[in-house]
Amino acid sequence: MNQPPITPLSGPSGPPPASNESRLGDDPGDRESIHGLAGLVEAVLRHPRRVIYQLRHGAPGGLIVPLLVVAVAFVAVYGLIIGSFSGGAQWWAAPVKMAMGTVVTAAICLPSLYIFTCLGGSPARLHEVAGALGGLLTLMTLLLIGFAPVAWLFSQSTESVAMMGFLHLIFWIVAACFGLRFMFVAFRHFGLRTEAGLNVWAMIFLLVSLQMTAALRPILGSADTFFPTDKKFFAAHWMDCLIAHPGSVRK
Amino acid sequence: MNQTRTASVPIGVSALLRGQTDVIAESISRWNSRQALRQISVIIAGAGMFGAAMGSWRAPEQAGWSAVKLPLIILATAAGNALINGMLAPLLGVGLRLRESFAAVLASFALASTILGAFSPLMLFLVWNLPRPVAGAPVAVAAHSVMLLMLVGLIAFAGVTANVRLLQLLRRMGGGAAPALRLLLAWLTVNLLLGSQLSWIARPFIGRPEEAVRFLDAHALDGNFFEEVARATAELWTHFSH
Repeated sequence: MNQPPITPLSGPSGPPPASNESRLGDDPGDRESIHGLAGLVEAVLRHPRRVIYQLRHGAPGGLIVPLLVVAVAFVAVYGLIIGSFSGGAQWWAAPVKMAMGTVVTAAICLPSLYIFTCLGGSPARLHEVAGALGGLLTLMTLLLIGFAPVAWLFSQSTESVAMMGFLHLIFWIVAACFGLRFMFVAFRHFGLRTEAGLNVWAMIFLLVSLQMTAALRPILGSADTFFPTDKKFFAAHWMDCLIAHPGSVRK
Repeated sequence: MNQTRTASVPIGVSALLRGQTDVIAESISRWNSRQALRQISVIIAGAGMFGAAMGSWRAPEQAGWSAVKLPLIILATAAGNALINGMLAPLLGVGLRLRESFAAVLASFALASTILGAFSPLMLFLVWNLPRPVAGAPVAVAAHSVMLLMLVGLIAFAGVTANVRLLQLLRRMGGGAAPALRLLLAWLTVNLLLGSQLSWIARPFIGRPEEAVRFLDAHALDGNFFEEVARATAELWTHFSH
């Protein structure tokens, strides 16, 4: 069982993994099993090390499906809040688009995440990498659910698409930051030696997610077709929204 | 040891990605036709997926042609330079045999192909979000330039990563940093020379909107790769400055 040495891409000067944290599993709480979806949600929020331990030492792929199911359910609920702004077809279109966008983003970004973690010297297997990504999505969407009452209140009291878009974007950025933090911690426990590649991947993930808002538009507001008929870069789409509808309009 | 293996990536590529030079060095010293076939399969799959993704912007037929051409170029570069690469190794102070040199180069190409394959979903997403290739439309010209620059950028990233790993491997196998670096630079030079010209001859990979979809260009031997990159940069600059 001699493990060959692993050389990070940037050389041996990278930060040591989890240098200021105890080893995963040293705390008996880390090794406690997770029961049911409610237990999983609580573990992601309160005991992330327990989730990371299960991803590392539990049944291969055991947590991936539950994490994905929870993330899709949560993001669909948040999509319902987004859809409540315009009503009509957006009641079902926004949740479907939010769920679809989340799953497609994860599928697009997973192969490059695996490559970057390998380049960073982590011996994590593909299902562990997928689990860490699932944890990111679950924590991110869980936080979105936390923001949902505030988002709903604003969506009922404002007419401005730009204002609501900005508010959702802020909530999403905060949630994504916490989700990414979970994933970085997970990979430190998975033996990652250097985080340079993971930082690049985080930028790719954020860009792909933001572009999804343009690729699946409108998620906020309404349109005649389910998918857009022309292609736009997300920044150009947002600028167009600001110029075309500076203070209006929900329909 | 099993912990470092994955079902989806062969041990050679997986170990190269992680910088496990001991495993790779041992694998190369026991290199046989089965391992060669596995590396070739990885190149065909990874580079093929990436080629298909970038060709899909122009047309499904172009996706098929590019999926065939990109792996062929990589394999032709490895095969075409096998002799000179093998000769350069002892001349520059690295004690590799011809077979070991070829195996090391093929392993680094397999690694680059794996990285390209992993980026092919991102490339497809880019294609999905770019304007369609309508002949004469300025926005389609800009989209073609974006595709070309993205292609160059991703291939550069995959190539640099693969060569950093190859350098670590050569240090481990060749005994010394200076000879390993010398050999890597020599290999890079000859591989870049042959690879870029083969790429130029085998164009188009993306396909310009105003030109018909085809396997090879009618003027395959005119101009060169570096001129095309400069032209694409200038086109993009002109588009955004207007």
